Amino acid sequence: MSRKIDNLEDSIDESLFTFAEYDEAEAERIGYSNYSYWRSTFQVFKKNKTAMLFLTIMIILITFTVVQPYLPNQKSPTKIYIDPATNMQLRNHPPSREFWFGTNSIGQDLWSRIWSGTRTSLFIGLLVAIWDALIGITVGALWGYVRRLEALITEIYNVLDNIPTTIIQVLFAYILRPSIQTLVIAMCITGWLGTARFIRNQIVIIRDREYNLASRCLGTPTMRIITRNLLPYLVSVIMLRMSLAIPAAIGSEVFLTYIGLGLPVSIPSLGNLVNEGRLVMMVPSLRYQLIFPAIVLSLITISFYVIGNAFADAADPKTHV
Amino acid sequence: MADKEIIMSVKDLVVKFELRGRTLTAIREASLDLYKGESLAIVGESGAGKSVFTKAFMGLLDDNGWIDSGNIIYKGEDLAKYETEKDWLKIRGKEIAMVFQEPMTSLNPLRTIGSQIEESIELHRGLKGRAAKKLVLEILNDVGITEPERRYYQYPHEFSGGMRQRVVIAIAIACNPQILICDEPTTALDVTIQAQILRLLKNLREKYDLTIIYITHDLGVVANVADRVAVMYAGDVIEIGTCEEIFYDPRHPYTWALLSSLPQLGVKGEKLHSIKGTPPNLFTEIKGDAFAPRNPKALKIDFVKRPPYFSVSPTHKAKTWLLDPRAPKVEPPESIKKLRSQWKVSANE
Amino acid sequence: MNNATKEVLLEIKNLRVEFGIKKKKFAAVDDVSFFIYKGETFGLVGESGSGKTTIGRAIMRINEAAGGEILFHGQKISGKISKELDKELTRKIQMIFQDPIASLNERAKVDYIVSEGLYNIKNYKNEEERKQKVAKALLDVGLLPEFADRFPHEFSGGQRQRIGIARALVMEPEFIVADEPISALDVSIRAQVLNLLSELQEKKGLTYLFITHDLSVARFITDRIAVIRKGKIVELADTEKLFAHPYHPYTKALLSAIPIPDPIREKQKTLQVYDPSCHDYKNDPPAWVEIEPEHFVLANKKELEEYKTASRV
Repeated sequence: MSRKIDNLEDSIDESLFTFAEYDEAEAERIGYSNYSYWRSTFQVFKKNKTAMLFLTIMIILITFTVVQPYLPNQKSPTKIYIDPATNMQLRNHPPSREFWFGTNSIGQDLWSRIWSGTRTSLFIGLLVAIWDALIGITVGALWGYVRRLEALITEIYNVLDNIPTTIIQVLFAYILRPSIQTLVIAMCITGWLGTARFIRNQIVIIRDREYNLASRCLGTPTMRIITRNLLPYLVSVIMLRMSLAIPAAIGSEVFLTYIGLGLPVSIPSLGNLVNEGRLVMMVPSLRYQLIFPAIVLSLITISFYVIGNAFADAADPKTHV
Repeated sequence: MADKEIIMSVKDLVVKFELRGRTLTAIREASLDLYKGESLAIVGESGAGKSVFTKAFMGLLDDNGWIDSGNIIYKGEDLAKYETEKDWLKIRGKEIAMVFQEPMTSLNPLRTIGSQIEESIELHRGLKGRAAKKLVLEILNDVGITEPERRYYQYPHEFSGGMRQRVVIAIAIACNPQILICDEPTTALDVTIQAQILRLLKNLREKYDLTIIYITHDLGVVANVADRVAVMYAGDVIEIGTCEEIFYDPRHPYTWALLSSLPQLGVKGEKLHSIKGTPPNLFTEIKGDAFAPRNPKALKIDFVKRPPYFSVSPTHKAKTWLLDPRAPKVEPPESIKKLRSQWKVSANE
Repeated sequence: MNNATKEVLLEIKNLRVEFGIKKKKFAAVDDVSFFIYKGETFGLVGESGSGKTTIGRAIMRINEAAGGEILFHGQKISGKISKELDKELTRKIQMIFQDPIASLNERAKVDYIVSEGLYNIKNYKNEEERKQKVAKALLDVGLLPEFADRFPHEFSGGQRQRIGIARALVMEPEFIVADEPISALDVSIRAQVLNLLSELQEKKGLTYLFITHDLSVARFITDRIAVIRKGKIVELADTEKLFAHPYHPYTKALLSAIPIPDPIREKQKTLQVYDPSCHDYKNDPPAWVEIEPEHFVLANKKELEEYKTASRV
């Protein structure tokens, strides 16, 4: 294994056998790695072709819902169209060049209703998701980290969790008039419980790690420990839950509309549209009234689900090869 | 050593990994001869490649790693050429077995330890039922677990750390392997338990006629168990010799630095010798001697050309240009010289 | 050095720390007493589960003392204390942790990590001064001030541990609890950190409580050592005295178990095993006795006699 020295003499200059300069600071700089958590997260996410596809679809869809009213030749979603010839409402017209998605049973343009409805539903979903996140994270963080509050919040959670959410929502719809606000409030009242519990579990896991102990030894107040030590670690799981909260809220809204507690018919929403479509489902020629909103609804739900999960996987440092 | 038989011979092994789109060369043309019945310690710090090196012998490399070139000759076959799991199953467990650092994660928490050892026996030695159980009890006895009949039915969580490690060792030797690789077997254990486990391994080596490879960063453990020592740095075996030669007459500057940074060899009140900087980045190609940037006594040639092995004795060689006859004479640090004088004294006694 | 003339900085009196709830309580630390002199490095050596980390955390008030007291400069710091005292202690007593990866906030820049304590006690006049303190702390531990803008994951284990030390140093403490500060580091990096700790002690007059399971490291860096087992301290003495002449059988077993990096000596050594049943404490309970000046051992009357006669031989 040791080569003969004769061979080496041919190729090596004697002068190389002198001491080289030693740079201490240079030695100190060697161990630099340019791993960046967020960059790796996005790289892994981008590799997931399905997720990227759905992300693109979602971006296109949402952009379109926002832009649609400003496009030329768009109709009003609430206007009832009357055939000038017969002076009758243009009811249940199948998709045509005039009405791209057809009309519904009272003569309203389904195309504009669907986009308006998507806007409304997304808006509700977003509001509920944001509220869910804000309250859920705050309560969950305090619950998980502050030991003195732990027993109290656990009791509150247990009580609230046992009340069936449907009953609360029914109550609300009964007391207040149906409107976007009512719906949002009703969904927000109990929606945050799941997030709170989830955040609490995550915090309990990381609460006693050494860097948090170190912060306590340094006298860092609780709030700052939560905001700078704990929550940054949970950003990825928080984003996952938020992304799943939006389709969940829309789904809730559809359900509530089905049982009659949703938005009034005058405000189009995906829930309303699906419900209206459901009423005429039995008639084959009118099925388009169900299919179009159902497709949009499914697309949104699946997209958020896929994107949310893909992001959560990408944000897990273990997948950063 | 000339009359000892070589049981495994590794030549110029290169192991690479694919990491975040880049290639990492974890083992850079490392070579090693393993003699039958010996106790070889592989020393080095984390990142040196000790674990990867031995995992390559058993085909236990992660999915993103592969043997790029080189040979691992065992019983006439070149293990480096093995491609399928089926090939490796002939070797793994039966010929070469491994004991890992963390006993809790090596054991299945849902099965009794008796059944786990028995499974190993059934797989590799073809015994079943009562014959297998009898062997299990015998092995439990050999590894120092008292009341084997009762313990057979217990679960891993009912054992202490040291006892669990004994169970892991039992599973490893149950199949009567030729070579036992112990990857930091005692690092996670208390020092009193560690001493017992090391003693156990020595006894087992005699009884079962094993060849043992110890992977460790603890030079005290090495002094205790090893016949020969291989020092690894940046994926290469940079010095290898008998235990006494490595401790009392090291020749590679890295080995000097490693030994002289030990608190046991330090003088109270004086600074310990320490090595500045960190091991090199294995993603990039390394020119010359990998240790050169951290070596205050590096020669210019260390940055230009990689040193070959230079022999110090028939059993001792090191990859350093300092051993080249053209190199200037460099004295090892004081603490090393002190150890050397102790050796010469006891050798003359 | 005559210990009687030295000032006692920290005193632990009959400390008891319990874990668990109600019926399942167990004492991780049971009736432990010792004191630490100003300027010394006091070693607390024990195996896992011995309670050594618990004592360190009790001093930092992370763990509550169920019994006994901890006194700093003669003042009680265990139990309920005033906010002013709490703030003062935050500055004067600091801790270095074992795991260089887990002990730093991965999502924060080094600048924030090192300044965290400063933000809490507001020990600076303006932003300029704060930055200067951070730069000085980094230089003190052998790091470059430009590292303040980087994140922990960009550094090696040894460098991260030094960031942790800088974080403690920037508070200008008097007393540092070092909980296994080098166990998680590579062998050659340990020397760096040990040298650094000695250097800082000289320069800044620090006092250390050095918690470790590694007796050879303890031998190198400590002035006095206490050996702890299952929540009780079994022996305490000057470091060299402990190594030269241990009394308690557990200490002897621990000493014989340490592997020496010297093949000839190590291979010839005989291993002593500790058997807890060698103590018969039923009728003759042990006491914490000063068997020699400044050398304490946990023994009952019978054992004391044995130890004394054995040492005379």
